[in-house]
Amino acid sequence: MKKAIFILSALLILPLTMTAQEIALKGKELFGDMNARHIGPALMSGRINDMEMHPTNTRIIYAGTAGGGVWRSVDGGATFSPIFDEHPQSIGVVTLDPKDPDNTIWVGTGETWTRNSVSIGDGLYRSTDGGTNWVEIPGFENSERIASVVINPNNTKEVYVGVLGALWSDSEDRGVYKTTDGGTTWNKILYIGPSTGAADVIMDPENSSILYASMWEFRRSGWGFESGGATSALYKSTDGGANWNKIHNGFPSGNLGRIAVAVAPSDNSILYAVLETEDKSKNGLWKSENAGQSWTHLNNDFGLVVRPFYFSRITIDPKDPNVIVKGGLSGSISRDGGKTFKDLGNMHSDIHDITFHINDSDIMYCGTDGGVYRSWNGGTTFEIVENLPLSQFYHISVDNEEPYNVYGGLQDNGSWYGPSSSPGGVNARDWNSVGFGDGFRVLKHPTKNIIYSEMQGAQNVWRYDADLHKTKTIQPLQEKGKAKLRWNWNAPMAVSNHAPDRFYMGSQFVHRSNDMGDSWEIISPDLTTNNPSKQNQEDSGGLSMDNSGAENHTTIFTIAESPLDQNILWVGTDDGNVQVTRDGGKNWENVTANLTGIPANTWVYHIEASVHGKGTAYAVFDGHTSGDFKPYALKTTDFGKTWTNIISEDVPEPAFVRNIQEDYENENLLFLGTEMGLYVSINGGKNWSQFTNNMPPVAVHFVDLQKKTNDVVMGTHGRGVIILDDISPLRELSQEVLAKDVHFFQNEPFIMKESSGFAGSFGAETQFVGQNKTNAARIIYYLKKRHTFGKMNLEIQDMDGNTITTIPPGKSKGINVVTWGFNGNTPKMAKGKTVAPGGFTTPRVPSGKYKIILTKGKKTYEHIIETVYDETSLTTLAERKEQEKYTKDLFDMSQDLAYMVHELSETQKTAQMVVENHPKGKKTAQKLYDTLEELRKDLVITTGDNYVASAEPELRERMGTLYSSVATSYDRISQARKDNYALIADEFNAAKSRFTKIMDKEGKKFKSFLEKNELAMPAIKPKEDFLKK
Amino acid sequence: MKTLKLLFVLCALVAFAPTSQAQTAEEIIDNFFENTGGIDAWKNIKNMKATGVASFGPQKYPFTLYTVLDGRMAAEVDLQGTKFIPQAFDGEQFWSTNFQTMEAEAADAETSKNFKANEAKDFPDPFLDYKSKGYSISLEGKETIEGTETFKIKLTKNKIVVDGVEEEHSVMYYFDTETFVPIVSEEAATSGPQKGTISQTVYSEYLEAGDIFYPYTIDVKVNGQVMQSIKTTEIEFNAELDESIFQMPEKATPAAGTKN
Repeated sequence: MKKAIFILSALLILPLTMTAQEIALKGKELFGDMNARHIGPALMSGRINDMEMHPTNTRIIYAGTAGGGVWRSVDGGATFSPIFDEHPQSIGVVTLDPKDPDNTIWVGTGETWTRNSVSIGDGLYRSTDGGTNWVEIPGFENSERIASVVINPNNTKEVYVGVLGALWSDSEDRGVYKTTDGGTTWNKILYIGPSTGAADVIMDPENSSILYASMWEFRRSGWGFESGGATSALYKSTDGGANWNKIHNGFPSGNLGRIAVAVAPSDNSILYAVLETEDKSKNGLWKSENAGQSWTHLNNDFGLVVRPFYFSRITIDPKDPNVIVKGGLSGSISRDGGKTFKDLGNMHSDIHDITFHINDSDIMYCGTDGGVYRSWNGGTTFEIVENLPLSQFYHISVDNEEPYNVYGGLQDNGSWYGPSSSPGGVNARDWNSVGFGDGFRVLKHPTKNIIYSEMQGAQNVWRYDADLHKTKTIQPLQEKGKAKLRWNWNAPMAVSNHAPDRFYMGSQFVHRSNDMGDSWEIISPDLTTNNPSKQNQEDSGGLSMDNSGAENHTTIFTIAESPLDQNILWVGTDDGNVQVTRDGGKNWENVTANLTGIPANTWVYHIEASVHGKGTAYAVFDGHTSGDFKPYALKTTDFGKTWTNIISEDVPEPAFVRNIQEDYENENLLFLGTEMGLYVSINGGKNWSQFTNNMPPVAVHFVDLQKKTNDVVMGTHGRGVIILDDISPLRELSQEVLAKDVHFFQNEPFIMKESSGFAGSFGAETQFVGQNKTNAARIIYYLKKRHTFGKMNLEIQDMDGNTITTIPPGKSKGINVVTWGFNGNTPKMAKGKTVAPGGFTTPRVPSGKYKIILTKGKKTYEHIIETVYDETSLTTLAERKEQEKYTKDLFDMSQDLAYMVHELSETQKTAQMVVENHPKGKKTAQKLYDTLEELRKDLVITTGDNYVASAEPELRERMGTLYSSVATSYDRISQARKDNYALIADEFNAAKSRFTKIMDKEGKKFKSFLEKNELAMPAIKPKEDFLKK
Repeated sequence: MKTLKLLFVLCALVAFAPTSQAQTAEEIIDNFFENTGGIDAWKNIKNMKATGVASFGPQKYPFTLYTVLDGRMAAEVDLQGTKFIPQAFDGEQFWSTNFQTMEAEAADAETSKNFKANEAKDFPDPFLDYKSKGYSISLEGKETIEGTETFKIKLTKNKIVVDGVEEEHSVMYYFDTETFVPIVSEEAATSGPQKGTISQTVYSEYLEAGDIFYPYTIDVKVNGQVMQSIKTTEIEFNAELDESIFQMPEKATPAAGTKN
């Protein structure tokens, strides 16, 4: 009893205390079933870091990708699916447990091909249930990049992990680690120093005590790369890692760079290594035939020496030690033990990993900068896997078309634009190429069908006429008397909101063109620090020169023109400067010193000039190229005089920030693109919530907000374009809303789009198809609590309260999104032998207001929505009303026919019963039955099947076909259909007359018999009941 | 009676809440059965006849589902007044109706074998006496799903054979930490071109059915989109069933002179 009183008291007290507290919902609690959608593209896919074959099941293949997580094929490489979507998407290595390869999967995160644009990992993960659940193995949180996970096949509790480690800073986490208890405890068994990581760790295939480890001294900064040093070396251990010795017998003296190493699976005495040395003639392939005791130099062809930091993988045919393949620009294969090589067959360039099929060495899988390729003929011909949407966007933008297009540039995969929705889904064929090389910013001219795109370092900036398919290169060039231009790898450009032909670019100067790039003027001084020590890119690369332009520094990186004033321009530089002009470039103010909490020279990755005030702007800062992974974002409202930090503890390190997007209506609604996914704030940055619904923690390089649709569009660096449709409900969120049991969010009137629906789906079996935005009404509401117990319904009614249809309601706590396709229910069709396909058509509703009635237990909640006709429609309003009337008439006629067939059939059933059981009435009943059957055969199909043995259509089928044709028409009703309607209506009237006559004659006699004999009348339902679903 | 039951559930919520900190998978399952009518009530169920409407987008199909403790099942759908059985299992053989011919056809042997080894044992609930079915359970932590904190329990079922290869088979269940009822299960497609695609089954509208509480609405979602929604309107346990419904009908003998 005491307990009961306590519970009652608790229930009474609860509401009081709740109202006193602020409701702080986060993540999935808040976003409920709002889901992101992925539109790819996959046609050019994205960079792969590591391929892994199942040791016994030829159907299973893994791909560890540079920025898109881990993908698995269960069909021999025809298609892949993601299995690592809740963790960092930058992958170093995937390794399967040799004894339990179906269940135990190890994933080391952090890409190991250390180009300028690589993302980061955050440690070591393991699944013991085939990839459903992942556990992070403690001890590797700061590893950043894991190159190897090697498991003793005889004792799978013994595991070696090679940590390559931090790219942009010193790290004592580097080295080779070993566990003997399956990952509970680890010992670092090889550590060289804070600059030297484990680039590769391999195990002898016959003797698990023998290990080889290549250690690499390397470092990248924002302005250079160094590969090699005195501590790079190749080591061997013969005692399970307790002791290590250099195995350099034959190698040249001096510093070494990155070393690739492989041992032949079929002959453990044969090793191959690829060296980067001080002596160019000694670079390339080395071979040992005595397990590393001595080495012989074999080959320094281009394919063997090219960019060691990017290509250091040797794969040996599991059956033949003389067949070896090396990653490279094209990939190289030798069939004579490494003496000579030829290029692999055509595929995307930049091959990072190659694996052989476990049973048939003619079959190979390659991981490239453009996805996974398969070869069936020993590496001569390759075909791409078509469903890996791993595209790595540096930047995206959107236009105002319907549906809007998304524009963007990709790592090593050019520049593209494609639709945000397309019939049948966004396909490979929907994407259009608008630039070569590495692609970055792609911008649409605000009013003309002109697209600006660029390649790395603004080597080319194209102005593309999308109507005429003509291009012109328009990048600014050095001017007489002016300094040489310094362009970032990812050079900024911007179009003007105020002058459509105006186009900006940024080198160290701001360049402005008022004629779409035909002529340029420099409107700023050098806005960077112009630090000469960061301008020696010709020295970049270390042992192997690598001056690709990727390290160009002290450049402008972001340009933002105020949407409120064309004279206000914001500029951010890669070396930490924030500059602003209020007079169109005549005067610039360096406001860098006013920044708060930002380390000096931290890359200004994006500035967003606000629509909410001329002096308001957001700036985000990215320190990752100096090893600083903290998130930074500031806001100013006074042209940069003062700044406020808008990052809270909700955004944890290493989610460093690359972009921010403000909402155009609610100043407090912000979207943050970080290295670990999307974060949303509804209170101006006081709190953030990670958005994780169908949104992996992928690096979000750019976020845009499409103004008409309110869609948040993200350019991710590894998972293509991801869209969060219509964020307008987030604008309404407040404490008042969150405190309500149910809250319907306001909708703009819904346009009932009219389109053919034609969509050839050829190839979709194995191709990625991006998810479309729904054309249906999106009814969005908030539930304070998930509805689990008791009834809940969602009904659409007209304004008179007549039910149109019911739809399954979402019941999540938080925001629910349910869709309604503007349709009522199907007509109840007459029963026949087969189906009448036309009867599956649901009629569209007229434009107007409709009630959404949500019942939850005993409570009812009402919301009104409005539908409007598509303005692109072919019909006049009067024609449409006529079409709606025809539709309704045919709908009703089909139901009337159904009821008539019901009456008829029930009467036949009773007649049949009398024929069988009551000899006195047999003659009357039989006559009635036969006459009705004659009629029935004219009303519905009574023979055949639903395919090619179908019978000739009868009245029901023809009526249904006409109904469907009229109901789904987007044009006025043609005379042919009106004539057909008249014919069918006449036939139906004639049939009704026949039925009436039969029932007046044979039917009357029969009923009289039933009455006299006190037999039950036919079980004919009232029409209303019959028509109920 | 209903009021009493609901009160019972409410009390149970309050009573169980403090202990939700340290739960084992076993305790969570026990609480689930206890909160939904008690293990004895569940064990009394021998068969079920459920009627309702299945929605696939705007299309709605009235259905009746017959399920028996021994694994037999049949779904009967009303298609324009004609009843047909899209799927059934007779205890050994899984079968379906070919839509073109509207005649019954046996499923491939692997499908029948896999169904018999697993889904046929899942009525009235896969967790009921799960050990005797050869299943095992493990608590995989907590997760927020449907905006709600849940216990994540993995149900490892019996192995299946897919295209000739034996494979592991498991389903992840998410039990509301307040009420201890499952609100979502997740499963990868086990075969076919969509193999590996995760689908969610979402359970809601727990209502009194006989002596237990049962989810009257089950939605199937892929990528957050509702692919089908099954709304039950009436449930009858231990009903009189026409046993013949589970048997695969013979194909009709073509009339004399009928063309192939």
